[in-house]
Amino acid sequence: MSQLFTLSFFTAFLAAAVRLAVPLIYAGLGETIAEKAGVINIGMEGVMLDGAFFSFAGAWYSGSLAVGLLCGIAGGVLMSVLHGVICIVLAQDQTVSGLAINMFALGLTSFLFKLMSQGQSYQQVETFETYAIPGLSKIPLIGAAFFEKDILCYLLYILLILFTIFYKRTDLGLSHIAVGEAPHAAESAGIPVHLFQWTALLVNGVLGGIGGAYLVLVQLGVFTENMISGRGYIALAAVILGRHMPLGMFAAALLFGLANALQIRLQTIGVSVSPYLLAILPYAMTLLAMLGAAGRSSRPESLGKPYVRGSR
Amino acid sequence: MKKILSAVTASVMALSLAACAAAPAAPAAPAQAPAASEAAAEAAPAEAKEYKVALCMSGAANDQGWNQTAYEGAVKACEKYGMSLDYSENLTPADIASAFADYAAAGYDVIIGHGYEFGDPALEVAATYPDVLFVCTEADAAADNVASYVMACEQTAYVEGVIAAMMTKTGKVGGIGPLQGDSLVKIINGFEDGAKATNPDIVVETAWTNSFVDTQLAQEAAEAMIDDGVDVIKHCANACGNGAISAAVAADILCQGDSYDQSSFAPDHMVDSALYNLDVVLDIALGSISDGTFKGEVYNLGFADGAVDLCFTKNIPDDVKAAAEELMEKIKSGEFEVVRDYTIRN
Repeated sequence: MSQLFTLSFFTAFLAAAVRLAVPLIYAGLGETIAEKAGVINIGMEGVMLDGAFFSFAGAWYSGSLAVGLLCGIAGGVLMSVLHGVICIVLAQDQTVSGLAINMFALGLTSFLFKLMSQGQSYQQVETFETYAIPGLSKIPLIGAAFFEKDILCYLLYILLILFTIFYKRTDLGLSHIAVGEAPHAAESAGIPVHLFQWTALLVNGVLGGIGGAYLVLVQLGVFTENMISGRGYIALAAVILGRHMPLGMFAAALLFGLANALQIRLQTIGVSVSPYLLAILPYAMTLLAMLGAAGRSSRPESLGKPYVRGSR
Repeated sequence: MKKILSAVTASVMALSLAACAAAPAAPAAPAQAPAASEAAAEAAPAEAKEYKVALCMSGAANDQGWNQTAYEGAVKACEKYGMSLDYSENLTPADIASAFADYAAAGYDVIIGHGYEFGDPALEVAATYPDVLFVCTEADAAADNVASYVMACEQTAYVEGVIAAMMTKTGKVGGIGPLQGDSLVKIINGFEDGAKATNPDIVVETAWTNSFVDTQLAQEAAEAMIDDGVDVIKHCANACGNGAISAAVAADILCQGDSYDQSSFAPDHMVDSALYNLDVVLDIALGSISDGTFKGEVYNLGFADGAVDLCFTKNIPDDVKAAAEELMEKIKSGEFEVVRDYTIRN
């Protein structure tokens, strides 16, 4: 127990929380952007899994991390484009499409991974290096957790700030929000609704793909079947808990990362916390947040409703 | 245009379902497809008096793991004892009883259920079909015509605990498991007992990822242990154990593999791997049926039966290896008995 309350414990614990949170934040940011434009992608789990597998395959066959990252992005985009075809072009049910995408991605990646690993010995790729930011990384407690990271993590900080400004301060951002709130009104104001939804979904695929690729290319160096194991759904929960804003989602994902890091660390020092209890924590918190926010939802008004031009 | 698109997307979705069915189904993932109807497609009925064996599995027969080893072991044993074999794949727990009943009604003599979850349905169906013999692996079901064969993984784990305790420099070792199921809890407990028997002051840290596939969490569990000074990590966490191994390699500490020879995962850091020989288990089970010595009991098969084993790598020093082999001999001869403990500890 005595290890619990030392500075080094908290420093390591916070670093673990951030490691666990970064893939969630990438996916959550992608999901926030799609949902702002009125398209919900429950297939985020599949997008991430695709990103993870294709980044691994790309890095393995090319020997280059950059190629791996591009392949991971392409894998994620593939899934969100499929979602877009079903939900935007064909105006079908977004929930059904998202669930189908999760199953499709699980089958596809497991199948391809079997082909890839058949007759091979263990496959592993290099991972991105970390660069400590001078000064900032020396801050006690949070320095190592936030500022001794890899390039993708720093990119994420920039993206979070840019998208916050985008939605709060730019006309284009406001137009994106309008598409999610009232597509018919937006269209009559001259906003190309479908074009904006497509753009948002592409960004969703890119960021979700990076979220999956991050696990492989930064953290593990290996791919295993179904390795996302629910992170896509946790990202969806983070978006709701974060009230559909990039920074809110960031805080929520960090909270989930903290909870997961805490439970695994408590286990190793012999404090018994049922893993089942902790597994429901993100969802329980999200439900509580939704109960607390009853009546003043942050949810875009037309979220999940297919927009058909000219219909009412 | 839209019609073509819907046709294309529909076929992609259909394909995805097929792919899911063919997918090797990590043990935790629910199988997507209903039972394959191998039962109906009964192949050439060979000579009379030949035992007809049916193998029921929770995943695909070519999953390069749990089910594939069982399938290959069953094929080998059936050839050896002149039995015919049919099989069903991707059975979900809800399908098991009906699959068993189908096979029993179709005149099969022996039905194998591969995995803990097959035990209870076997007891249920076996009461209706007293002439059919049921064999379950890793289960604890026993009746007149039901026998279970459990691999004594606690024996390998105990020896691995001894090895870890002899090789640690910090006096701290770690064990990482997936879900707290009986057959996994006994491994982690055996590991802890072995380590503590060697050095009563040793610290054994344990963690459960609560998943067979959460590779990142297994890595974080290992990181947490490494931060605490652990320098030997044993995992029995299936695929997600790869995360623990990659953390061990990154931190330049030792690790111990599971299920099959995993030395290629960490050539310079892996000390040994525990081997679980399902082909031996099925050979013993079908052999007892072939020579008429079948008894409805729960069998615990260990080193002495060849059902479990250890394989060492170049990273283990000679004296540690000698001590481990001596202990394995003692367990084999029955001179030393490893306690099998299913209680979840902290």
